This record gives sequence, C-alpha cells and structure tokens, in this order.
Amino acid sequence: MTDGHLFNNITLGGRGGTTPGQMKLYSGGIIWKKQGGGKAIEVDKKDMMGVTWMKIPRTNQLGVQVKDGLYYKFTGFRDQDVPNVTTFLQNTCGITPEEKQLSVSGRNWGDVDLNGNMLTFMVGQKQAFEVSLADVSQTQLQGKNDVILEFHVDDTTGANEKDSLMEISFHIPNSNTQFVGDENRP
Amino acid sequence: GDNRASSRTSTELVAYKNINDLPPPRDVMIQVDQKNEAVLLPICGSMVPFHVAFIRTVSSQQDTNRNCYIRIIFNVPGTAFSPHDANSMKFQGSIYLKEASFRSKDPRHISELVQSIKTLRRQVVARESERAERAT
Repeated sequence: MTDGHLFNNITLGGRGGTTPGQMKLYSGGIIWKKQGGGKAIEVDKKDMMGVTWMKIPRTNQLGVQVKDGLYYKFTGFRDQDVPNVTTFLQNTCGITPEEKQLSVSGRNWGDVDLNGNMLTFMVGQKQAFEVSLADVSQTQLQGKNDVILEFHVDDTTGANEKDSLMEISFHIPNSNTQFVGDENRP
Repeated sequence: GDNRASSRTSTELVAYKNINDLPPPRDVMIQVDQKNEAVLLPICGSMVPFHVAFIRTVSSQQDTNRNCYIRIIFNVPGTAFSPHDANSMKFQGSIYLKEASFRSKDPRHISELVQSIKTLRRQVVARESERAERAT
C-alpha cells in the first residue's frame, strides 16, 4: 500500500471552528493538508497513541491522539470510509480505533473524564463535549463546589466564529466522590 | 407528590433521540432549535445541544469596547426550586455543567438569542409543570 488512500473534504476541527482539507493515509502514517495549501499536519504512525471513531451528525469523526499530547479531530468520513480506514490503521499502523458515542440528549449532568490534556464531559457513558486543556488559560475554584475554566481569548480568537466560548463552569456536588481530595481537579 | 412527578418529566426530557436529528451545521454560533426545544452551543469545535428546560437563566452584557457577551446558567442541585433536586437524588454523584459564557461579534444576534431562549424556556417549563400537576 504505497500510494495509500486519499480522502477529500476532511476538515480539521479545533476551537476556532473547522478548516477544510484533504487527508492521505500512507505507509508512514497520516498527512492532512489544508485546502489551497498552507498548513499541513503529519502524524507518523509510531507517534499515534490512540485513535477513535465517533458518529456525529451526518458524518464521522476520526480522533487521533499523538505522543506529545496533541489530539486532532478529522471530520467528514462517510460511513463506507470507516471500515477502510479502520483496516488500514490496523494493518499499517498497528492500532485499532475505539468507538466513542456522542450524547445528544441535551442533559447538563454527567461525569468528567480527564485523559492526557483532554477533558471530556460524559452524559450517560456518551461524550457530550471535549475540551483541550491547552485552550484553557486559567482554572479557578469558586466556593467549595464549583470549578471555572477560562479559555484563552484575544483579538485573534474567533476569526472564523461568531460566538466564542470564554468560560464554562462545573458544579461538583458533595455527593460526588470522583474528585474528593484530588489535587488535579478539572 | 409534586416532586416525584417533576422528576419523572424532567428526566424524560430529551433534546434529540438520534444524532442525525441535529440541525445542519451553520456558522460557529449559538443556535436555538425551537422544534426540539434545544439550545446548541459551540464548544471547542462541536455544536453541543442542551435541552432548554435545563437552563435556569440567560443574560447578555455589553462592555465599553462594544464587545457583547452572553451567559447561560444551567440548573444545578441545591438551588431553590430547581427541578433537578429530585433528579440529583437519582443521579447522585453526577457533575453538572453550571454555566457557559460566550463573546459575540453580533449584538443583535445575542439579543435575539436571549429573547428566544427565555420565551422557549417559559413555554416548556409551563407545559412541564402543567403536566406534572395533571399527573398528581
């Protein structure tokens, strides 16, 4: 498989929205190139720590976690692409993607998972949303039970977005035992 | 009595049953889906739905640099008259998203949002409490 697979219309997701581009799977790993040139992301297969699939509205999202803690989200895979990419990743990179599910129930209560520098809010064992702690400028404890995450915001934030997230807070009731006495609270 | 009924209804409130029921992605901005009684928030590259019944208050603010802000506060246990109080028994140990704040480039869009979230919330809460009353 020297020439690998090419996927058009794969967007790279991030805090400031999404960037359209093209992804190539080849014997050495993954390359994603921004449409019209410019930014490229190369992930060497030996740097892949974990890969996930998630079905999102109308399409599929491939999450790639790399050694240095970065986590890329590539969106735009058709249902029929999923088995091909999975097979490729297994055979060429020796990694099997895990399946994640998206919560769309609209609930605001669940669990918080910390994994590397990703904070995931889980509702009923499904992912409601994910936050990269690299985007968080400050965390604060308010009172005994609330944790505030402030996001980096400057004049360049939100060039591609109308509304930019500035702050979220979590309420951790006393009945929660997960983070009791844990210095690494979210 | 009342408590049990409201817990039953509020735990059953679901914004979307199916992933593909979410509205097609538009600009990166807060959206209100009247039909599904949901507010969609752009959080780190995804549109995250929340049922409007779980929102407690929404407010907007403008600073001297003409930046516009919107703040959405959700129901959490322990606040007075929170419909979650019964829920929190059922989901003991859960962590709650309490608040989300956004800066916006469009003050008009923000004031429309605040209005439509408030109106939708009022309708849903009224309907749910009526339903709870009938159930008792």
